[in-house]
Amino acid sequence: MTITTDTATRGTTAALLSLDGVGKSFGPVRALDAVTLTVRSGSVHCILGENGAGKSTLCNSIYGTVSPDTGKMTLGGSDYRPRNPSDALEAGVAMVHQHFSLVPTMTVADNLLLGRGGFRPPRGKLSSDLDRIADSYGLRVDQKATVGELTVGARQRVEIVKALLRDPQLILLDEPTAVLDPGEIDALIATCAALTVDGKSVVLITHKLGEVARAADEATVLRAGSVVGGGRLADVSLASLLELMLGDNKAIDRTETRRRHSNSGSDAVLAINGVTFTRPDGNTALSGVDLSVGRGEIVGIAGVEGNGQSELTAVLSGALTPDGGTVALDGEDLTSASPARRTAAGLAVIPEDRHTEGMIAALSIAENIAMPRMTQYRRWGLLDRGRMRADAASAMSEYSIRASGPDASIGSLSGGNQQKVVLARELSTEGLRAVVAAQPTRGLDAGAVAFVLERLRDAADSGAAVLVSSSEIDELLAVCDRIVVAYRGTLLGSIDTASPTAASDIANLMTGVSA
Amino acid sequence: MTAKPLPRIRLSPFILGLHPRHPLVVALAALVVSAIVGLALAGTAGAGPEAVIDALVEGTLGSPFAIGTSVNNAALLMLVAAGFTIAYRAGLVNVGGEGQLCLGGVAAAAVGISLPTGMPPAIGVTVTLAAAILAGAAWAAIAAWLRIRRGTSEIITTLLLNFIGLALVVLMVQEPTLLRQPMTSSETLPQSEALPESVHLPLLGLHRNPATIAIVLAVILVIAVGIMLHHSGAGLRLRAVGLSGTAAARLGVPVERTAFLGLTTAGGFSGLAGGLLVTSAPFILVDGFSSGFGFSGLVVGLLARGSMTAVAAVSVLFGFLVSGGINLQLAAGVPSPTITVVQSVLIIVIAGAAWWTTTKPTRSWRPSIERSAIIPAEEVPA
Repeated sequence: MTITTDTATRGTTAALLSLDGVGKSFGPVRALDAVTLTVRSGSVHCILGENGAGKSTLCNSIYGTVSPDTGKMTLGGSDYRPRNPSDALEAGVAMVHQHFSLVPTMTVADNLLLGRGGFRPPRGKLSSDLDRIADSYGLRVDQKATVGELTVGARQRVEIVKALLRDPQLILLDEPTAVLDPGEIDALIATCAALTVDGKSVVLITHKLGEVARAADEATVLRAGSVVGGGRLADVSLASLLELMLGDNKAIDRTETRRRHSNSGSDAVLAINGVTFTRPDGNTALSGVDLSVGRGEIVGIAGVEGNGQSELTAVLSGALTPDGGTVALDGEDLTSASPARRTAAGLAVIPEDRHTEGMIAALSIAENIAMPRMTQYRRWGLLDRGRMRADAASAMSEYSIRASGPDASIGSLSGGNQQKVVLARELSTEGLRAVVAAQPTRGLDAGAVAFVLERLRDAADSGAAVLVSSSEIDELLAVCDRIVVAYRGTLLGSIDTASPTAASDIANLMTGVSA
Repeated sequence: MTAKPLPRIRLSPFILGLHPRHPLVVALAALVVSAIVGLALAGTAGAGPEAVIDALVEGTLGSPFAIGTSVNNAALLMLVAAGFTIAYRAGLVNVGGEGQLCLGGVAAAAVGISLPTGMPPAIGVTVTLAAAILAGAAWAAIAAWLRIRRGTSEIITTLLLNFIGLALVVLMVQEPTLLRQPMTSSETLPQSEALPESVHLPLLGLHRNPATIAIVLAVILVIAVGIMLHHSGAGLRLRAVGLSGTAAARLGVPVERTAFLGLTTAGGFSGLAGGLLVTSAPFILVDGFSSGFGFSGLVVGLLARGSMTAVAAVSVLFGFLVSGGINLQLAAGVPSPTITVVQSVLIIVIAGAAWWTTTKPTRSWRPSIERSAIIPAEEVPA
C-alpha cells in the first residue's frame, strides 16, 4: 500500500482516479480490504494478482456493478460514487468485460448502436466516429460483418471500439488477453499505448506477467483482497512483482523439477485401441487412436485445439461413446461403461469444462466432493452430513482451498479453488488406477498451476497412470515422461521429455511436419 | 383476514427466525395480497368484508362437518403438492396431477369393487390404495418415458394426459361393461357401483366429523418427503439432476433413472390422492369426482416453492378456502368462482416473488436448502 501512495505523490502527471481504503465483503469473504491506489492520466495501470485476489471485484467497484462497503473513490478531483454502469459511463469510465457482451447474430454496426437512445439510430455519425477511432488508435472494424463470424480478436476490437464510442477518460480491461493469440496480444498492447498518447488511462487486469512488462507504466499487486505492493515499472523488477503475487507459493521451476523416470515398462494400465469417432457434422474427430499409459507414467497430449484431444478425453470420461475401438483399464473393458462404473474401476477424470461437467455450482463443496461416493456416507438410510462436512474440511485444508467452509456453494469460489475441489474429489477416488486430466490448468494462475501439476505428479508416484492433455507445452514438458501430439484425429510421435530437442520436435509435429 | 394478518406477517419471519425470502414468508405475503383482492371482488358483489369473513368461517370452521371436509381437502392437496415438489427437484414440472389423480381413482374403483367382500379393511384399503398409486405412477411414466427417450417436454405431455385421464373417467362410468353401476331403471346415474365397506377409508372417529385417516397419511408422507429431499442420497441426486444433468452424469448419478423415478413418484402421489377420494364418502367413481384437486395441488406446489413446511401450510389454507368458497355463495351471495380468482392472483403474485428473489438475492444470511435449489447460485465475483 505504501509503495503505491509513494509513487502517486511522486508522479509527475495528475491523478485521474484515486481509491482510498476501498473495501468490499461478500458474506464472510473479504474480497477487497482497504485498497488504496492511484491511476494517473495517460498511463496504463496493471492490476496483478492470482485468481481470487480481488481483481475483478476492484474493477466492478470502479465500474459501478459492485458498491464498496468502505472507503472512497475520486475521479478527476471530484468524489466518485457510481451506483451502476450508467453512472460510470456518464463519468467517463468504460469497461471491456472478460466475457464479451455482443449479440452474435447482429452486425458490428447494430451491436455498436445497441443501447443508444433516440428513435433513429445515428448510423451516419457512427461511420464518422469509427473512422476517427480507426485513425487515432489503429482499431479497424468491419461495420457490416456479423459478429458471430468474427474471430475472437476481432470481437474484442469491437468491444473496445464500443467502449471508445462513449469517449471515456478511463478504460477498464478485464483479463483481455486470456483468449487472444500472440499476434492479437501485440495489437492490443499497441492500442493501449495509442490510448495513453491521447491522454486516456487504461486499467489492465491480468495475471500474466509478460504482458505487464510490455504494456504497463505502473502496476499494483493484489493478494487476498489487499494491495501488497507495486509501483512504476521503471522502479520495480518483474521478479519482485511475481514474488508479491505468489506469496508463499512457488512458481513451477520448469527445468529443475522434471520427473525422474519411474519407468513403467510394459504393463499398460490405461489402454486405448483403435478408437474412432465422427462428429455429428460428419467430420472425423478421432481416426484409429492407439495409446497406452503405464503404471506410474505421465503421458501428455499436446496439440492445437480441435485436433481431437477434447473428443479423446470425452471418450475416456464416458461422455462420448466411440464409433469403434476399445478403452480398457487394467484389462477391464470400459468402452461403453457408465461414469459410475469407471469411477468404481479406479479412473479419475478432471473434465475440460469444469462448469458444466466437473461440478454443480449451486451445491456445496461437501456435496460436490461426496457426490460420486454417496453410498459411503449412508447412515440409517440417510446421508451422514457431519461426516461429509468433515471429509470436505480435511480436503480443503489438504488442498488449501479458500472458502468460508464446506457448506459454501462451489459456485461462489474462484476458478482456481473450484479446480482444487475437483482435483481433491477425483484424486481421492477409491483404488485410483488412472487419471485423465483435460486442460487441468486452464484459466488458473501460476500458484494454482504448480499445485495442480504437483498433485498429478504425486498421483503418478503412487502408481497411477496419468494422461494429461494441455495447450501449455511448458507445463507438459515439466510434468510428463513422454508427450504425444494430437494432429487431425491421430496421435503422432512419442517424444521423450528428457530429450534436448523435445520442444522443437513437438512444435514440428503440431504443424504436421513429421519429426 | 381483515387488518390483523398484516402486522403479524411483518413480524412473524423474525419471530420464527425465518429468512424474509423463505418460501413460507413469501407465500404468506402473497396470501395477504390475494385476500385483499378477494375482499374487493366480494365487495363488488355487494357483500361487505364482515359478511364474507362470516361466511368463510362458517363454511370452514362453523361445524365439525365443515372442519372435517376441509381437513380431507387439505390432505389431498398435500399429497399432490408433495409429489410435484419431488419431480420439481429433478427439474421436471408435473402439470399432470389431475390426470394421474383420475387414473388413481379409476384403479381404486376397479380394484375396490372387485375385491371379495368380507375382507378386513386393513388389507382391503391397502390393496385398493396400492392400485391407485401404481395407476397414477404408470400414467406419469408415459410422460417420463417420452421425456427421457424422445426429449418431449413433460410440461406438454403431462398437461395433455390430464384430458385423457378425465375422459377415461367419463368412459368408465358411462359404459356398463366397464365400471357403470348395473342399470335398473332409466334414472340410474352414470356412476360406479358403491365400494364395499371393506375398502372404506377409516374415519378419524371424531364426533360428527367426516375427517378420514387421509390427513394422517398425508402428514406422514409430507414429513417423509421432507426428510428424503434434505437428508438422503436420493434427495441429493434429485437436486444434482435438476441443477446440472451433465455434471450429475459425470459424477456417477444415473440421470435418466433419477428423472424417471422423480416424475413417476409424483404420479404415484397424485394417484394416491385419487384413491383416497374414491375410498371416502360417497364411495363412488363419478364424472368430476376429482374436483380439480390435481390442479389445485399443482398451485400449492408452486406456491410452496420446494419447502415441505410450506406445502403443509398452504394445503391446509387451500383446503379450508375450497370449502369456504361453497358457503360464500350460499350465505353471502358471492359467486364461488371468486375463490378461483383469489387462487389465480396468488399464482401471479408468487411468480412475481420468484422474480424478486432471483434478481435481488440477499447474501449469506442463513442460506436455506430450498433457496439454493430454486434460485441459481449467484456468482460471487472475487
